[in-house]
Amino acid sequence: MAQTNNATLIRREIITRLCRLYTQGRLDEIDRIPLDMAPRNTAAHNSRCCIHKARAIIRYRIMALLGFNVADETDELETLYSYALRSLAGTDHGNGVLTVVDEACTSCVKSNYTVSNLCRGCLASHCMVTCPKQAIAMENGQAKIDPSKCVGCGLCQDACPYHAIIYVPIPCEESCPVKAIYRNEQGIEEIDYDKCIHCGKCMVACPFGAIMYRSQLIQVLHRIAKADKPVIAMLAPAVCGQFRVNYPAVAQAVMKLGFTGVYEVAAGATLTAKHEAQELAETLESGKPFMTTSCCPAWVEMTEKHLPQLKPSVSATWSPMRYTAALVREKYPDATVVFIGPCVAKQAEARKYEGVDFVMTFEELGSLMIAMNVDFQDFDQEELGEVIPERIFAASSGVLSAVMANYHGEPMKPLVVNGLNKKNIAGLRRIAAGRSDYNMIEVMACEGGCLSGPAGISSPEVARKLFNARAGVQVEAMVESK
Amino acid sequence: MVEIKICFGTLCFIMGGAAFEMLGEHLPEEIRNKVRVEGMNCPGFCHKAEFGKPPFVMVNQTLIAEANIQKVIAKVREELSHGANQ
Repeated sequence: MAQTNNATLIRREIITRLCRLYTQGRLDEIDRIPLDMAPRNTAAHNSRCCIHKARAIIRYRIMALLGFNVADETDELETLYSYALRSLAGTDHGNGVLTVVDEACTSCVKSNYTVSNLCRGCLASHCMVTCPKQAIAMENGQAKIDPSKCVGCGLCQDACPYHAIIYVPIPCEESCPVKAIYRNEQGIEEIDYDKCIHCGKCMVACPFGAIMYRSQLIQVLHRIAKADKPVIAMLAPAVCGQFRVNYPAVAQAVMKLGFTGVYEVAAGATLTAKHEAQELAETLESGKPFMTTSCCPAWVEMTEKHLPQLKPSVSATWSPMRYTAALVREKYPDATVVFIGPCVAKQAEARKYEGVDFVMTFEELGSLMIAMNVDFQDFDQEELGEVIPERIFAASSGVLSAVMANYHGEPMKPLVVNGLNKKNIAGLRRIAAGRSDYNMIEVMACEGGCLSGPAGISSPEVARKLFNARAGVQVEAMVESK
Repeated sequence: MVEIKICFGTLCFIMGGAAFEMLGEHLPEEIRNKVRVEGMNCPGFCHKAEFGKPPFVMVNQTLIAEANIQKVIAKVREELSHGANQ
């Protein structure tokens, strides 16, 4: 879920500056951004050790925003301008969609358990006696945990009569539902791309903003500037919860940025709902016990990488993004197609299939608006024509309700899995083992659905409120979530 | 009556102002009937560094930079207590 905090705002400021330089033809000044954002004699670097570190971190953030994996740096002296030119040349830059800005990672704690100064160095030393790894010793009258020996079992915490041992979480590791992020030998976090499902939870969780998505924004700007082919924007259904205006004003604002045309992905969602309902009827008729939705790319990747036994149960129906791209290509066969949404995983999905060239996030869209002085207030908000009911795909339970509306078959026993957290994943494993009688399961990686996406503009509660006020369809608990 | 004016410009909204969508829900009971909340078109505070950083909110005549709901409520309370003293 998107959160507004300083780490998010700094990322948005950098995106805005990058857009400004590109659109004003001053990309060669890109190496000045770290200096401009962390000038001498300011407190701009107050959570970092020094101004040079603050600047270095901004530099690596820009590298990610230019589409590179920070870990792929080979020459520390390579300028950002050189990276920018390489990015515009359009070669693919390395593995994974998420990247760790290692300079920004503070390698939180070496061990999750630490002895606080409430420790009285007691005679009994329950903690030392209990520790199965002999990781605790007395030093200067207090217990001390050796992180190289500690395995994080927590027995010492339970044993201490003074409650002096505390659990210190590592936010990114804690948030990852699939244990894809871990500390390397230097204590810096690394992402295992064989495990990562691109849900973006670590990016939102890190209080130092050390995890970034590799942006494709500059490539999109470049295609718009070249103007040799139409560049079409496809706005994800969650767009209705992003801004303080109705959809038509957003669409006009997007046109103002230079796109040739704007499509609502809800149009593709209409096709997804129809085909998925038909597929469900056929699946159940053929004797298979259940089917799951396929529009959340993090969920699909979860089945591929972690729950292979559920993979055959994932609907083969295309996601709304793919259907919408097909609609775009009917009219503009040679277009550059850009999906704009709140999602990190959509970029991974777009890379897998033909049809969508680039993926942008809502926060990038907003930052680009700022850079180009486009204000939503300037556009007409009136909905022309009928509102597409499948805008409801943006919310948890929305996909299921849309499929239900199209479904004709044996009675549906639906389940909504609202967010891929440890508890829900355990539930999904039980379903995989055949211990449920649900026959249609909607799964969304983000709690609340795409309205809570990691690269949205506002908090989930604001997005939900705006969506209910502006989308023309209501988010309701149509199906009970479990 | 204390007047709260929230900048409705895109920049303020993206740089944290979106949170004010929930202002109504967060206003404490005792001041809810003593404030009038309005939006304002971007007055351009964001173009000049001396005003500080967005989002911007006006509480009566005072400009609040890097505004958030807590700061606004604190300022409203201050304004109300001034009124009581006069």
